[in-house]
Amino acid sequence: MKKYIGKRVLTAIFTLLVILLVLFILMQLMPGSPFNDEKLDADQKALLYAKYGLDQPIVVQFVRYVGNMLRGDFGVSYNISKNTPISQLIAARLPVSIAIGGYAVALGAIVGLLLGLIAAFRHDTFIDTLCTIISVIGVSVPSYVFALALSFEFGYKWRLFPMLYNNSQALNSSILPSISLSMFTMASIARFTRTEMLEVLGSDYMLLAESKGLSGPALVFKHALRNALIPIITVLAPLIVDLMTGSLVVEKIFAIPGVGSLLVNAIQSNDYNVVISLSFIYSALYILIMLVVDIMYGIIDPRIRLAKDDA
Amino acid sequence: MFKKKKEEVFSPASAAEAYVPVDADFVFKENAGEIEIDTNFASQSFWKEMVIRFLRKKSAVFGLTMILLITIMAIVGPGMNGYSYAGQNLSQKSLAPRIPGIEKTGFFNGDETMHTTSGSKTVNNYKTKGLDDVYYWFGSDNFGRDIWTRTWHGARVSLIIAVVAALIDMIIGMSYGLISGFFGGKVDMFMQRVLEVANSIPRLVIVTLLLLVFKPGMMTIIIALMLTEWVGMSRIARAEMLKLKEQEFVLASRTLGAGSFFIIFREVLPNIIGPIITQVMFSIPTAIFTEAFLSFVGLGIPVPQCSLGSLISDGFNSFTTHPYQIVAPILVMALLMLSFNLVADGLREALDPRMKEM
Repeated sequence: MKKYIGKRVLTAIFTLLVILLVLFILMQLMPGSPFNDEKLDADQKALLYAKYGLDQPIVVQFVRYVGNMLRGDFGVSYNISKNTPISQLIAARLPVSIAIGGYAVALGAIVGLLLGLIAAFRHDTFIDTLCTIISVIGVSVPSYVFALALSFEFGYKWRLFPMLYNNSQALNSSILPSISLSMFTMASIARFTRTEMLEVLGSDYMLLAESKGLSGPALVFKHALRNALIPIITVLAPLIVDLMTGSLVVEKIFAIPGVGSLLVNAIQSNDYNVVISLSFIYSALYILIMLVVDIMYGIIDPRIRLAKDDA
Repeated sequence: MFKKKKEEVFSPASAAEAYVPVDADFVFKENAGEIEIDTNFASQSFWKEMVIRFLRKKSAVFGLTMILLITIMAIVGPGMNGYSYAGQNLSQKSLAPRIPGIEKTGFFNGDETMHTTSGSKTVNNYKTKGLDDVYYWFGSDNFGRDIWTRTWHGARVSLIIAVVAALIDMIIGMSYGLISGFFGGKVDMFMQRVLEVANSIPRLVIVTLLLLVFKPGMMTIIIALMLTEWVGMSRIARAEMLKLKEQEFVLASRTLGAGSFFIIFREVLPNIIGPIITQVMFSIPTAIFTEAFLSFVGLGIPVPQCSLGSLISDGFNSFTTHPYQIVAPILVMALLMLSFNLVADGLREALDPRMKEM
């Protein structure tokens, strides 16, 4: 197990370095230099370059860049809010995004699991068909369509929830965005749970458990669900990542002051520094999630843990 | 054995009364109607069986019909009325849908209901502006462009982007996976590590970075989709290759002197075309979605060109006052994505022999 985790961590670190390298190269390729002022003569420029370490060999610059990024020193924003440190911008917005993303994942996972379980236990009935239809629609309709529909119906027509995010009612205004974000997760998990449960329910060890006299919750949760959960956890990771993409649009629709809308603003106003910092943050989050899921996968399923130790 | 015994019993006396054949015995019986072929066990070609299984699934047939319908509309739709997708008429902006004939039923008659804080009110801008002979089937947008024409034009652009991107992904991912799986060993090891790293970079990041470097437009979106979607395809191709490469036909081909590339692309590839097509079908809705998402963020097709995503993005700005502007493109996109998903599901089930019903 230790060997397996070690290997995964090393891969993650390597990937992060590759991403940093790509970002660094992109920064180098960007047109213009940070000191575009025409009033500066060559000597002054050289002085400024020396001050910021831009006269150093490219490798040294890269090492310094990696150090800065890892310490959370992303430089300053050029356009969005001039000369504000980007880490400050992000620190103010990240909790909002993470909260909404967290609600969405929790909601999607729980409702999806329930839908999938119901569909599997009522296999080939009307309820099963209904669950399947719900999940197909959930997978096919983009989250922002749900966001628009929800904000039109509940926000605009019925005025139950705020249409735009309101910091003073954070929880109340997170409801619609979370629901619309969670639809895709919910639908995918419901579909997946259904297939996995059907497979597990048809297996020999379920028959054995049943013939031992087990029934009810013990049978469902201890024997069936635990085995069905393993593959479900693997799909959860990419789903969480899809949430990141979805959050960009949903944050724009509900005017949520999160990282997603910051990224959209940064792209639209060509604020390279912010775009690159956010890319780094997104990648780091993504890699972290993948790492956690992979390790969890090993913990839940003893077969994987043991197999990996042999290897 | 049995036959021989019968011959022994056969006495010369009865041989004289033996049956004399008549001409009618040598005429075809024409009993095709009576003969039944047991289709469950009769051997049929794989593809024929697949088509039968696919057509038996109603949702898949529905999906296929919708895709064909939308494709046809995307081809002929923009030419069906006198408007062009870019033509603006500012005096006829934001008109609700009105269709000749149907307008008399009370639907699509150009009425729109305005909700304000003091209540709601129904207005008909065609009447107030005196436009009696003007019909916008899906309404007109904020610049007085016909939404019908723009929706189908947008569907055309979105479909082109999605299909081209999916095909390029197929070629890249398939080759990568097949080569990695076939050679195995160190090559496979290296190629899989590269893939792992590529897969660990979020799609969102790749797309945004690309758009920093290139100008927004159809090509950029296709490149972005190309760079992000090939991983899934290559995984499937590799898994299939690992399954097939130990089989006898590969060995036979090798013995006959075939080179590696001949085996990969001429021997193995035709055998795995099913899962690959299914994967392409699954990647098309993803491509449509990604394009729509990019347009929504403002990185999509530049004006006056439009795609489904950019239409939704335009309609979003006034969706509380003129909801009809966003309904048509959203419906078309949702239907397209739904249909491709249904078809892909149907294909997967049709191709999977485990699901064969007896």
